[in-house]
Amino acid sequence: MSAHAKEKGMGLWRRATALTLLLLPLAFLLASGAFAAARKTGDGKVTKASGRCGSCHPDERVAFEKSRHAGEDMHCTSCHGGNDQSLDEAGAHQGNGWRGKITRAQDPAMCASCHADEKVMQPYDLPVDQYSQYQTSGHGKLLAKGDGKVAVCSDCHGAHDVLSAHDPASRTYVTNIPRTCGTCHGDTTLVRERKMKDTYHEYLGSVHAKSLFDKGNLKAPTCVSCHGVHGAAPSDIGNVNKVCGRCHTAERRYFKSGPHAAAMAAEQMAECSSCHGDHGIAPSETARLASSCVKCHDKGSKDEVLGATLLADYQSAAEAIEKAEKVVARADAVPIQTEDYKARIEEAHTYLFEALTAAHAVSPEAMSGYTTRARSVGEEIQEELGSKLQNITVEKLFLLVFWFYVIVTIGIIRRFRDAGPRAVK
Amino acid sequence: MSTLASETPARTRRDRAVDWIDARINLSELFSFLTHFGLIYTPVDTRRPLRDVLEQIRTTPLESYARWPHILGLLTALLFALEAVSGILLAFYYQPTALGAYDSTRSIVRDVMLGWLVHHVHMWGSWLLVAVVLVRMIRLFWDGLYQAPRELLWFSAVALAWLVIQLDFTGLLLPWDEQSYWSAVRGLEIVWALPIVGPMLSALVGGRTMSEDVLNRFYVLHIIVLPVLYLAFVYLTFATMRRVGLSRVGGVAPKLTTFRRHASDLVIITLLLFAGLVTLSTLMPFQFHGPADPYRTPKGTLPPWYMLAPYALFQLPLPRWIPGLALVGTAFTLPFLPAIVRAAGNRLDDKRLRMAGLAVFGLWLVLSVLGAFVDRR
Repeated sequence: MSAHAKEKGMGLWRRATALTLLLLPLAFLLASGAFAAARKTGDGKVTKASGRCGSCHPDERVAFEKSRHAGEDMHCTSCHGGNDQSLDEAGAHQGNGWRGKITRAQDPAMCASCHADEKVMQPYDLPVDQYSQYQTSGHGKLLAKGDGKVAVCSDCHGAHDVLSAHDPASRTYVTNIPRTCGTCHGDTTLVRERKMKDTYHEYLGSVHAKSLFDKGNLKAPTCVSCHGVHGAAPSDIGNVNKVCGRCHTAERRYFKSGPHAAAMAAEQMAECSSCHGDHGIAPSETARLASSCVKCHDKGSKDEVLGATLLADYQSAAEAIEKAEKVVARADAVPIQTEDYKARIEEAHTYLFEALTAAHAVSPEAMSGYTTRARSVGEEIQEELGSKLQNITVEKLFLLVFWFYVIVTIGIIRRFRDAGPRAVK
Repeated sequence: MSTLASETPARTRRDRAVDWIDARINLSELFSFLTHFGLIYTPVDTRRPLRDVLEQIRTTPLESYARWPHILGLLTALLFALEAVSGILLAFYYQPTALGAYDSTRSIVRDVMLGWLVHHVHMWGSWLLVAVVLVRMIRLFWDGLYQAPRELLWFSAVALAWLVIQLDFTGLLLPWDEQSYWSAVRGLEIVWALPIVGPMLSALVGGRTMSEDVLNRFYVLHIIVLPVLYLAFVYLTFATMRRVGLSRVGGVAPKLTTFRRHASDLVIITLLLFAGLVTLSTLMPFQFHGPADPYRTPKGTLPPWYMLAPYALFQLPLPRWIPGLALVGTAFTLPFLPAIVRAAGNRLDDKRLRMAGLAVFGLWLVLSVLGAFVDRR
């Protein structure tokens, strides 16, 4: 190929490249336009999830498209029946098992038509026993009796906008559960009408709610932790300690070993909640070791004295640790090595915490095992660190020796100074 | 005594040692260098033999500045030397990083042998140095020692005061404990609020937030830049003194003394100063605070005491630039006081000027007290 031809060939090549580069943004624009058009879901357009139903039911369509169901080959017709491709109302609202608006009484069975079907639920790894559990629950039993106001599936999960319980926007997400139950159990009118307890507002004041909402502890108990999820039922006397004991295992063990367990069972008293309350459980308070006895026992009785003994035992141990902490703070301000002592104080706090747990046995012997250990750790630290701090005070006496040498040295220098002439003429 | 040593033959052992040295190095050069720092007043000719130089130093009378009120100037230099020595010892262990600063400081005070003493001596020394430098400035003002030919002495006294305050402020941050951290933040807020100077300084330390970068820059300023500048002004002070001599306030001439007596006095004063610092450090050690937490300001945190007056000024319900301009203006006019006094002519006699100075000092004290309480409510 000659040089000229080569040049010409290269010119063509260059022109083609330039053209491609010019067309590239155009192609991109076209492609993105087509893409946007494909995504656009204007009124009356057929969409995968809701068909043509949204033309007349736009709010329901919007709610449904956001739901967990929309992405899973579910359509309006799956629950409501009818024909979602029809262009007129009469055609849409007939055939295919048309049901129209689903009543509260129909609701659980309708949801169960899929959610109790192992074959349908298996790909999602979802349980299929919710419907049977629901039927045993307080809600389910009342519904069966014809009570139209009790909770059905859609009251807790939503109707069109059902979301997964793992979605923080869901009504059934852990932090939203109290409010979802509270829709009825915290509704003052409904509560008065049906003679229920306003358990929602009681719960909001509890230590459990504080842990859930204020500290963000997602493991903190909500309504369903004690009452069950779909098989929601109140706990009976005799079962309360088992329910609480699911988390508070050590407390339950100590309680059962103590005199209260048999006595309260005989008197038909609820175990944990008799002292701690039920929904509005207050934070543990050590003073209650003594103050809660007189709720049942006589004032001045030996039982009240026992409570006071437990409290005094606990307080003396707590005081020893508090003093030890003050000594550690003083040592830190010097500073002296305190890491070991801080670790031991942590340990003492654990004993102190265990002592409160052991107090459920209402026996000084069970509790003193822990309080004695806590107290002795506190006293040891006070003594050891205290003597180290004392040593520093003693070390200050070395200043006397230091000044002695300083004064002697100055004396020597003065003699050297005065050995020479006082002034030069 | 008055006969020159070179005329008599070398007989004593000391004479032989001096000759031995003189035959090998020219130590006269060292003594010539030392004259710049005030210990030796005699002009030293580096070409003359060492024996002559030593004899000259020994026999030339000098004005003793190891006595009140000249001792303030001496302390400015001596305390700085003690700070330098203790500071170098601290720098052996200190790590100027946000992670290491607190732990290394704590290990100096807690674990290193006698580290607590060095640390506390350094801190007490800084307190004394700030006090001495400020008292010296007041004294020079009161006795009118900024007048000709002592303008440069005044200039360097003001410069030393500024440098000491900056040394103290930069050093304060280094332990990186909760008090030092937040005290420095409060102080920097004042600096950054100043017009013109504030933005320039914030650019120098790298922005308006406290960070590891600020720590690093403060460290470099504290151990290199500011001490070198300080030494330069110490030199300027002594160089001025060598030309104009010690002051004669009230017509009292400074005592003439010998080199031997003067040097002995210096050693005694240094020893007493060190012993005093050790005593203060042992009997009144500074409290050791917890580590700095950038997300939690301890209650009642104040800027360092010498910044309380500007702190109070900025709390006044005025636009920031008014107190800011007043502060910057004062800072820049103070070194040029002699020129201002001369420009004012005979309208400002000594007495009026003293009263004006007293009023400014009183205002500063009142503002400082206000600044200490302004945050507490």
